[in-house]
Amino acid sequence: MLNSNTSALGVIFPNSYDSLIPELVNVRLMASIPFASRYRLIDFILSSMANCGISNISVMVNNNYHSLMDHLDSGREWDLVRKNGGLNIFPPYAEKESKRFTGRIAGLASILNFLRDQKEKYVVLADTNTVVNFDFNAMLKAHMESGADVTVAYNSQELPESLRKSPSNDQCLYYTFDIEDGRITRLYVNSKKEGIQNFSMNIYLLERELLIDLVNTAFLHGKEYFERDILLPQLNKLNVQGYKYENYIARICDVKSYFDENMKLLDDYNLDSLFSGNPIYTKIRDDNPTRYIQDSKIQNVMVADGCIIEGEVENSVIFRGVKIAKGAKVKNCILMQDTIVEPGAEIEYLITDKNVKITAGKEMKGTDTHPVYISKYQEV
Amino acid sequence: MAKEMIAMLLAGGQGSRLYALTEKLAKPAVPFGGKYRIIDFPLSNCVNSGIDTVGILTQYQPLVLNEYIGNGQPWDLDRLYGGVHVLPPYQKANGSDWYKGTANAIYQNISFIERYDPKYVIILSGDQICKQDYSDFLKFHKEKNAEFSVAVMEVPWEEAPRFGLMVADEDDKITEFQEKPKNPKSNLASMGIYIFNWDILKQYLEEDEADPKSANDFGNNIIPNLLRDRRRMYAYHFNGYWKDVGTISSLWEANMEVLDPEHSGINLFDEDWKIYSRNSGMTGHKINAGAVIENSMITDGCRIKGTVKHSILFAGVRVEEGAVIEDAVVMGGSIIRRGAVVKHCIVAENVTIGENAVVGAMPSGDEGGVATIGAGITVGPNAIIGPDAMVNKNVEGGEELC
Repeated sequence: MLNSNTSALGVIFPNSYDSLIPELVNVRLMASIPFASRYRLIDFILSSMANCGISNISVMVNNNYHSLMDHLDSGREWDLVRKNGGLNIFPPYAEKESKRFTGRIAGLASILNFLRDQKEKYVVLADTNTVVNFDFNAMLKAHMESGADVTVAYNSQELPESLRKSPSNDQCLYYTFDIEDGRITRLYVNSKKEGIQNFSMNIYLLERELLIDLVNTAFLHGKEYFERDILLPQLNKLNVQGYKYENYIARICDVKSYFDENMKLLDDYNLDSLFSGNPIYTKIRDDNPTRYIQDSKIQNVMVADGCIIEGEVENSVIFRGVKIAKGAKVKNCILMQDTIVEPGAEIEYLITDKNVKITAGKEMKGTDTHPVYISKYQEV
Repeated sequence: MAKEMIAMLLAGGQGSRLYALTEKLAKPAVPFGGKYRIIDFPLSNCVNSGIDTVGILTQYQPLVLNEYIGNGQPWDLDRLYGGVHVLPPYQKANGSDWYKGTANAIYQNISFIERYDPKYVIILSGDQICKQDYSDFLKFHKEKNAEFSVAVMEVPWEEAPRFGLMVADEDDKITEFQEKPKNPKSNLASMGIYIFNWDILKQYLEEDEADPKSANDFGNNIIPNLLRDRRRMYAYHFNGYWKDVGTISSLWEANMEVLDPEHSGINLFDEDWKIYSRNSGMTGHKINAGAVIENSMITDGCRIKGTVKHSILFAGVRVEEGAVIEDAVVMGGSIIRRGAVVKHCIVAENVTIGENAVVGAMPSGDEGGVATIGAGITVGPNAIIGPDAMVNKNVEGGEELC
């Protein structure tokens, strides 16, 4: 293959951090949570990979993945229908002794033979709860220049409160680093430190052969987590380099951050920061343009195609196919696909999941700190 | 494996009356209704009617159209056997020919049609906005045991002289055809959509081709010849929305009618009859604080800070603070700068309207045309473009055009 010295394959873990946001993953997984009026979370990392020429991508689905299969379909929207590589979805194997995996090691161990058969020199590992328009080529260049064994992308920010305050559990591990001259010297699991930290984005780049080696050994010893059980004990042996990401990032860590990160995109600066680079692809729905009828009043909203809006909408993110009837008032809300707000209803600080109906005249309000979530197909 | 019916879509027209809009693209590729192109309508009708094989006859400026159609995937027309095929004129052993007329375009592609061995062929036109179920038309054709059927619309008698008219008896059997007559005997206008039995069509195409005096046109040659031979010809009444968008004013009008589906009958929000198109892939549109939106259709990727009333904005249009857009069609990627006023007009793709420029004007009484700005044009700040202007060159700041 052309450029085989610089080519990478991608492995995406769509279930990571599901437990942080139980409401939204009740009928789906992290990767398929709707975001920014017409996307699903996985669209960002998947489009980033596809835009950087990574066209052999494996998605390690683990749990609740019907919605994701439907969304990804053949991978055509990301130009991932390829004779060589393309999109592979790996569900867990239904063997007697197999169980759903928690960390990445068991997942990767289940595809070791696949990984051995591939031609790409490098592997990129990623989750889906970070919304980024990521340049993997720049990361690969840094990796090659530094001579690292493993490169980890991170950004500098404070740890989200939801993570710091959550009780430590095995379901949800997050990582921070000490870095000296680019090299990671210490790795902390579930740190509670305050202030700006080097916060891992869980995007890893390493040679395929090395990954196979590391995973194989760790799996035989019954290890679970790539970071905690492979990297951390071997920081002296492996040259693990940090790659600082300086562009726009949204991290989904709970319902509140989901709400805030959507709302942040109503600021044109943020919206441009995330979307002005390479395009982000998503599933096409063939909706018509959104129609605004006579008395609609619209202030500071992001709206996808396919909506019919007759009422008043302010500071909100509106997904495809939403209908807001005459006299309805929508303020500080996130309305997912095909939500219906009937005449005269007034809602504030609400997150409505797909196909929710707010009946006529109903008043419902959450607060800035506690937006109310209404689950799929509910009628209020 | 034979196909029952395949479609041949005439898309070669230059659309010279659309002028500034069709300088670089064929008429069927002209954008329409916020996110569509005209050709999306016949293509979507085909796939919604169960027709999975479509030949598109192209000739004039086919680049945009070819790229747009691609492998036909957006219309579900990427098929192993059949699907959509773009058919430009091609070189043969005994020379090459442009398509001389609509009938000749089909004649030159007889071998394409025969690959599918169809019983029926439907001839479609690429310059109409219409949602039509062709399977219902075919049912009529079969019930009448017809050899040729034409879809017709009742038009007001006073407008009838502008159309090709079918005179039919009470059983819908066609007895006479009048092309734009002074004294119409019928008000059934041909929509230019025909179903032929393939054996009949082939026979008449070959006969027509052998006639050196023929203009090789369906309306002027094939249909009169069928009548001459007293073939079984029927008129199929269609009473849904139909519009020939061959002129600037009819194109503008049809766009405005999209804004009023309750009265105009052209409903794009029809889950059971979706119109498919190639999507922009842009993020949701953004309406800022201070913007005013009334009675309009807005597509993905738009950023609106100004005022938009009774208008259609295609993907990625930017409207800056203080700009006013009213009764206008603004196509993809155009930018309306601060303070500009854009009224009663069509602005094509990737146009920039400079600060405080004025484009078009609301008509006073019956007077006043639809100003048109061609694709990629820049209109300088403070320029004034009159309501009858067709602009296909950049306009300097402060310049006045009418």
